[in-house]
Amino acid sequence: MMGHLETDMADAVRTAPATVASVRDLKVHFAAKRGVVHAVDGVSFDIRDGETLGLVGETGCGKSVTGRSFLRLLPVPPGILAGGSVTFRPHALCEDCDGAGCDACGCTGRKAVVCPSCRGQGCATCDGTGAETIDLLKIDTETLRKLRGDRVAMIFQDPGKALNPTLTIGQQVAEVFLQHRTDELIELAGLSPETGGALRRFARQDHRFGDGILLSLPPFRGQRRRIQAALDKMVARALAETQVPNPASLMDRYPHELSGGMRQRVMIAQALACNPDLLIADEPTTALDVTVEARILELIRDLQMRRRSSVLYISHDLSLVRRICDRVAVMYAGRVVEIGPTAEVFRNPRHPYTRGLLAAVPTADTPRGGLAAIKGTVPELVDPPAACRFAGRCRHETEACRRFDPTLEPVSETHAVACFIDHPAPEGDQPSFERITE
Amino acid sequence: MQLRDYIIRRLIILPFLIIGVSIIVFSLTRIGGSPIGIYLSHEMTPDEVAQIEARFHLDKSLPVQYFYWARGVLQGDFGWSGVSVAPVSEVFPKKLAATMELSVAAGFVAVTLGVWLGTFSGARRNKPADHVTRIVAVSGASMPNFWFAIILLIVFWAELGWAPIGRATADLYAMVPQRTGLYTIDSLLAGNLAAFADALWHLILPAITLGYGATAIIARMMRSSLVEELQQDYVDAARAKGLAERLVLKKHARRNALIPTVTVIGLTFGFLLQGTVAIEIIFRWPGLGKWMADSVLRGDQATLMTYVLFTSVLFLFVNLIVDIVYANLDRRVELGK
Repeated sequence: MMGHLETDMADAVRTAPATVASVRDLKVHFAAKRGVVHAVDGVSFDIRDGETLGLVGETGCGKSVTGRSFLRLLPVPPGILAGGSVTFRPHALCEDCDGAGCDACGCTGRKAVVCPSCRGQGCATCDGTGAETIDLLKIDTETLRKLRGDRVAMIFQDPGKALNPTLTIGQQVAEVFLQHRTDELIELAGLSPETGGALRRFARQDHRFGDGILLSLPPFRGQRRRIQAALDKMVARALAETQVPNPASLMDRYPHELSGGMRQRVMIAQALACNPDLLIADEPTTALDVTVEARILELIRDLQMRRRSSVLYISHDLSLVRRICDRVAVMYAGRVVEIGPTAEVFRNPRHPYTRGLLAAVPTADTPRGGLAAIKGTVPELVDPPAACRFAGRCRHETEACRRFDPTLEPVSETHAVACFIDHPAPEGDQPSFERITE
Repeated sequence: MQLRDYIIRRLIILPFLIIGVSIIVFSLTRIGGSPIGIYLSHEMTPDEVAQIEARFHLDKSLPVQYFYWARGVLQGDFGWSGVSVAPVSEVFPKKLAATMELSVAAGFVAVTLGVWLGTFSGARRNKPADHVTRIVAVSGASMPNFWFAIILLIVFWAELGWAPIGRATADLYAMVPQRTGLYTIDSLLAGNLAAFADALWHLILPAITLGYGATAIIARMMRSSLVEELQQDYVDAARAKGLAERLVLKKHARRNALIPTVTVIGLTFGFLLQGTVAIEIIFRWPGLGKWMADSVLRGDQATLMTYVLFTSVLFLFVNLIVDIVYANLDRRVELGK
């Protein structure tokens, strides 16, 4: 079904910048009373090293579900991972230059981890890239847990709901370090790397009965305080990165005492604390004021540049995506209908849905009342028939669109579209932008 | 507002609330008629009856009677218990200690078991373990405790002979000095482990019986609020940080789920006190509940008023404690607004 594109992409992998993550034919279904909802139905795309990929579409098109499947954060049941893969290539500090940037790592200071099964020669498990490739949908929960928040992090839509109201900011940010940076914490506290027992458990948030009493007695008491001080230092540093004023005093406050923008900064600090390779940003500014939005976007962009993380930016806001994304993937009804470099997609959109979306964005020139809405609503995704998902709302549809399901095919080296306008339909009339059917 | 200021303010209001409560208690009790009955016998002449009436100020108007009663209460004189044939103030502490021992033990059973069961059940929503726990909880909440008590007595006392009845084995207990009136603590203070084991052995069955209903209520509340909390974004955010499911539950969801549960735990306290009446009669536990049942049946108003006044004041304090715990758990609670 995707053969053409896949070989193209496999070739691109060796020459063009490496991919940090690939989604292949991802299918996520939800069991509902009316039947099986195909929320995500065969989605494929790559996220390249250091790029920002925008995932746009209207509410309910499956973009959030796609984003969440990177961390397997779907409620199962009722969610069903019905097929496909989400592969991820973790990076580590480049050992040649220790993060300074050299030729070996392409001046990024970070290198993909070498595939353990072929030692970098290229094999089936790593898709011939020689870099360690992990299928996020198949690994065991412990491996996944270690990746979550460390290599793959996530920012949520509403920071007011994504922070625990009963824990202080400091306690919540600290958890990331306690989960993934126990060794650094012990080192920073000036303790021996062999430190074990209750102290190590304290440094990895693993409390056992009796530990509290033990750690309140000398000499453990002093050592525990040193770990706590080291932890506070790391948290303050992470918060300072997001340019919050007075990070040390922020640590003792509760989420409800902060403004929305500040809360989102805390979430960002928390997400980027461990320098993740991939950041999933699920509409991070939707719940914020427009003035705050600009500053948050700037901050994410700035931190991403410095850390060279890749970002999957999920949004329904096209003008925002245009501003910050290198490439954009347009989703409609559980499918990617168009993907390509942002400039190209916005200049020359090939899918009628993308065109409709762009026409619906108001600009300064749009006359009053001149907004173009796409007629109709998103189809119900219960047991969808073999037809173009956009058929019924499309101004250019033909009989072929109602009988065959277009797949994502390249229109240029970087740009791919799932529509019969650019690719011949198996039979019947070809739709075209010239002909409008009402 | 500081927590300390808040507590002080609540404590200042407390006496006024208590005065209000005492007026209500007095008037409600008097609806049942004059308390003279318990002090009379058939041989008394009308003159003697009038004498008693004068002695207890029953010949005066109701407000004046209230004044005499309130003055007595303030001086520590709660009247004469016709049931126990002794001053109320003398008998009350002993009965109270017995009831406290029972209800604290039951409360302990209910809170630990209830919170644990609720967490266990809520974390396994709609799985077989959840259904079993819910059946246990529903039966606990709907079963009358006197009936459950009798069933347990038939099985464990009459049939199996594993559990005793009453409060302690008298011989064992004779040598233990009574400092607190709580047998378990007294025997521990005296270092008498045999007596302690005996007191505990006597305590277990009534405590479980009394605590079962409350356990069920707490478990159900805990389960539903945990299920709700587990759907919140911050739970997913905690998972996204790399926390293991166990920690997500323990550090994040459970703490928030406890907030509504604490309110229920406070209310449950009343449930326990009310439950002691039936449980104490069935297990022959010499506490307030049994004493009150006797007092009600024989019209012993002095004892009755003391009990009701005491429970009301106790509730005022329990509510204060619940509010403070609540504010500690949930920092969004604005004190005193």
